[in-house]
Amino acid sequence: MNLTKEEQAMLNGEHGKVIAEAMDYIVQFGEAFDAERLVDIVYCHYPAEMGIYKGNVEEAVEYSKKGGHVKVPTTSSTLCADVEKPGITNIPAELAELQKQIVPAHRSMGIIETYTCTPQLLGFIPPFGSYTALIESSAIIYYNSVLGVRTNRGGILTRYSAITGKYPLMGFLLDKNRKGTHYFKVNIPEKRMQTSDAWSALGFHIGKIVGSAVPVIDGIKTHNQEFLLGFGATLATSGSVTLFHLVGITPEARTVEEAFHGDVPKDFFEVTEKDIDKVYSEQTNIAEGEKIDFVTLGCPHYNLAQLKDVAEKIKNKKVADGVRFWICTNRMTRKQAEYSGYIKTIEDSGAKVVVDTCPVESHMRISTCREFKLEVPNVKAMVCNSGKMIRYVGDLIGCQVALTNSDKCIESAIKGKFVK
Amino acid sequence: MKTYKVKKIVRGNVQAEAIVCPHSFSFLGDIDLDTAEIIIDNSKNKGISITGKILIFDESKGSSGGSTVLITLAGQGKAPKAIVSVKPADFNLVEGAIVSKVPYASDIDIASLNDIKTGKLINLNLDEGTLTVLD
Repeated sequence: MNLTKEEQAMLNGEHGKVIAEAMDYIVQFGEAFDAERLVDIVYCHYPAEMGIYKGNVEEAVEYSKKGGHVKVPTTSSTLCADVEKPGITNIPAELAELQKQIVPAHRSMGIIETYTCTPQLLGFIPPFGSYTALIESSAIIYYNSVLGVRTNRGGILTRYSAITGKYPLMGFLLDKNRKGTHYFKVNIPEKRMQTSDAWSALGFHIGKIVGSAVPVIDGIKTHNQEFLLGFGATLATSGSVTLFHLVGITPEARTVEEAFHGDVPKDFFEVTEKDIDKVYSEQTNIAEGEKIDFVTLGCPHYNLAQLKDVAEKIKNKKVADGVRFWICTNRMTRKQAEYSGYIKTIEDSGAKVVVDTCPVESHMRISTCREFKLEVPNVKAMVCNSGKMIRYVGDLIGCQVALTNSDKCIESAIKGKFVK
Repeated sequence: MKTYKVKKIVRGNVQAEAIVCPHSFSFLGDIDLDTAEIIIDNSKNKGISITGKILIFDESKGSSGGSTVLITLAGQGKAPKAIVSVKPADFNLVEGAIVSKVPYASDIDIASLNDIKTGKLINLNLDEGTLTVLD
């Protein structure tokens, strides 16, 4: 691989051992995939160093003591606890204490404490075409597809990109790999595509077909930030999609031709209402009117407008006895929502606005309870509006699930029954 | 002695017994994290530990979790000695192998899955890009 003088110096140890080790990892990674050179990244979303994985926090704290410091603006992904108010989710104190140790470690390395899966909602939006190194599949697909900011699906090496400010020029950083591969023509009435759960179901359907390829979706006009977030999150879950193109909406797909780099396939997949209906019926195993005990909104983490919407709809109402109702967001948005009065309104109903984490990343996971010898939370049935959440809940929390829109989620929480 | 050409993914030269899985392999789900034994494998490898072996498989499946499992195994001294795949390497597992310092080679001839038997002594030289079955 061709390295610049500066990169070679970093690798040779002229900037210290921490940088030399990090460069060695990044260079090996690039050479493994025949990258010609490294590029400078402008932003990094840092791996979640979560208490629920054995040894993870301890290792991260040790690493921070080596004195490394991030080179570019670096935000941090979700934890297993609401670090500010751990009691809000009833997380066992010892797990919350373990998780809290990550905060000073991250601070000492210069990592910004965002603890969210949606850093884009906090304004971390580099210019179109920039190179970045990100983790968190729902953020990755959004940056790549909606913002045109280039990243691969990062893993543990994202730490070393943050430390060096470098990433190999490969994968989705290269033009040739951003070309559409599968053509989808959506033939669904616009009025059906007015909720994020419908977009989630569409993402579920397409993700299953394309796996890790690059779908091009044509035929939808209505969209907004939350719809695209839900859509991407689910594409990245049912498949392992890193980049999609929505014709006329996302920046690298002003036309079908552009999305396919001029090479439009003859064959296409037609998507109809039946396909999304099927996702609801296949992924929902709670009958209408059946008793439920958990309702989740905020997968991916909610923005301020979504919290406002929940506050307006739940005002002067009460969550049914025995129902946990979590609305997950990031800590900055909760602060703003406190200022605007939404939090008080929501909490008066008995619902909780949870930050830094979400149900499947928390102590609600059965495997975590076993590993840390905690009592398994006895959840029977969860209602939510996210295709990503329903994909994981069955396996990780071991309960039944239902997918519906956010209004019906709120109604379900109030009635204590699944309102379809 | 038969020698195969391989592509170096993560550096290292090692010698160890082979464990051959003639299909796709997932670190997340196919391995018991405590014992490093293969748990979901319909072949004769079930119950064999991958610790200290050269693990040869067709391709790695599963996403980010696999890398975490490899790192966790390595942290307990239970990682395989090396990883060899027929199909091109997977980004995420490579990240885990680099950090865990587990040598990794890809692009070995598919015939190797049939010809190399579990338990055979193998030499992997990634400076030269070769895998040799020692008699």
